[in-house]
Amino acid sequence: MIGIYQTGLLAAFICIIIAFISLYQETDDLHRLILTDLAEIMALLLIALVATDLAEALILPGLVVMIAELMALAEIYLVKEGIQRKKNSSALDIEVLQTAPPIFAGILVLYGIILSGFSGGAVAGLGIIFYCVCKGSDEVFTHIETASGYAWVAWIAAFFIFLLLPEQWFFAVMIAGGAILIKVMAKFSLIGTMSGDPDV
Amino acid sequence: MFDQGIEGAGLFMIEFGDIVPYFSVYTATLFAFAIIFILLAAFSIPEKQMDIIFGGDAYYAKEIKPADLRFQRFMALACGTATLGAVVTGDIFNFTLFAAMIGITNIGIVASSRSHHVLNAAYQYGIVAMIACVPLFGGAAMILATTGTLSIWTLAGIGAAPILAKILLVLGVMGEGMAPFYIGKAEITRAQGAPFILMVHVSSLLLFLRAVEIILVI
Repeated sequence: MIGIYQTGLLAAFICIIIAFISLYQETDDLHRLILTDLAEIMALLLIALVATDLAEALILPGLVVMIAELMALAEIYLVKEGIQRKKNSSALDIEVLQTAPPIFAGILVLYGIILSGFSGGAVAGLGIIFYCVCKGSDEVFTHIETASGYAWVAWIAAFFIFLLLPEQWFFAVMIAGGAILIKVMAKFSLIGTMSGDPDV
Repeated sequence: MFDQGIEGAGLFMIEFGDIVPYFSVYTATLFAFAIIFILLAAFSIPEKQMDIIFGGDAYYAKEIKPADLRFQRFMALACGTATLGAVVTGDIFNFTLFAAMIGITNIGIVASSRSHHVLNAAYQYGIVAMIACVPLFGGAAMILATTGTLSIWTLAGIGAAPILAKILLVLGVMGEGMAPFYIGKAEITRAQGAPFILMVHVSSLLLFLRAVEIILVI
């Protein structure tokens, strides 16, 4: 009788064998370091197979220990290969922060639009802050200002609709919601432009 | 627990539910041994390397920077403390965590030397130690899954732990306790690493002895 645990164990062992074969065949030091991370995930898989509250409690210390080892090894690799950080780079000068911003900002802005209103503006603004902090903000700023101005006008227009044509309240709510979204987003993204420039 | 013929007499135990830290004659001996070497690491100063120029009377001594010394000493003390934990604990998963911590601190002790070949050896050992986490944690997790407990106190003598889990545990401890081989490879038993390198050997030895005890008892 093969239970679900045994099946999972079998699958885990197949994964472990694949990971170990890849480690065995790889000769480049950096690639081996990355592959050990794969092996670590297999260890977490074995713990997770227990599938009780205790397993959940055991995964966290296991993960911490493994990440500590990975970081120590990465540091040794840097010293060993004589790789040094560029002199005039900030703490945010990481490759991921060059490639991720469009995707993350896109997701956050989209989600903000779905939420709409004040909280939606905050979420979307966060996306734009992230984009501006990572990518710099030379020409983005003027566009944001313009959009903010139009949003203010739309907001006021929505109030006039509320007062003059109360039966069109739903239309007014939609305009006001969209306008406040853009307004809050623009306010938020100002924070992002603040730290972008070294002269400011 | 203490009728297995391995532990010797039971000296002291604290019953926290099912997780029981205990001292038997065996583990108390290991504990005392670890304490002695922690004190040695805490109160000793590093050995300086002398390079003699052949064909003359000249020699020069390499200076060890205070920052390097502090780092190495801290790592040696941390390694000793992790060894103490591994020796005393009554929980198999805690034992594996302490074993992994010994691995990390061993990497630190070896890596505090600046030479390229030493760093290479430390790196190789680090990769082995990281891979060894798989059987180490895997063994502990399998014991938990099959018996429902991780307490050495509860598992003692009932023989419920599967043989595969025991094998995995031994494999994991072998990987974590592999450091002395890499020290031999880097040739830093004297001069560059002494006396802090001693802690690597001691922790490895104690880890193996404790693992043998756990494997025989559960």
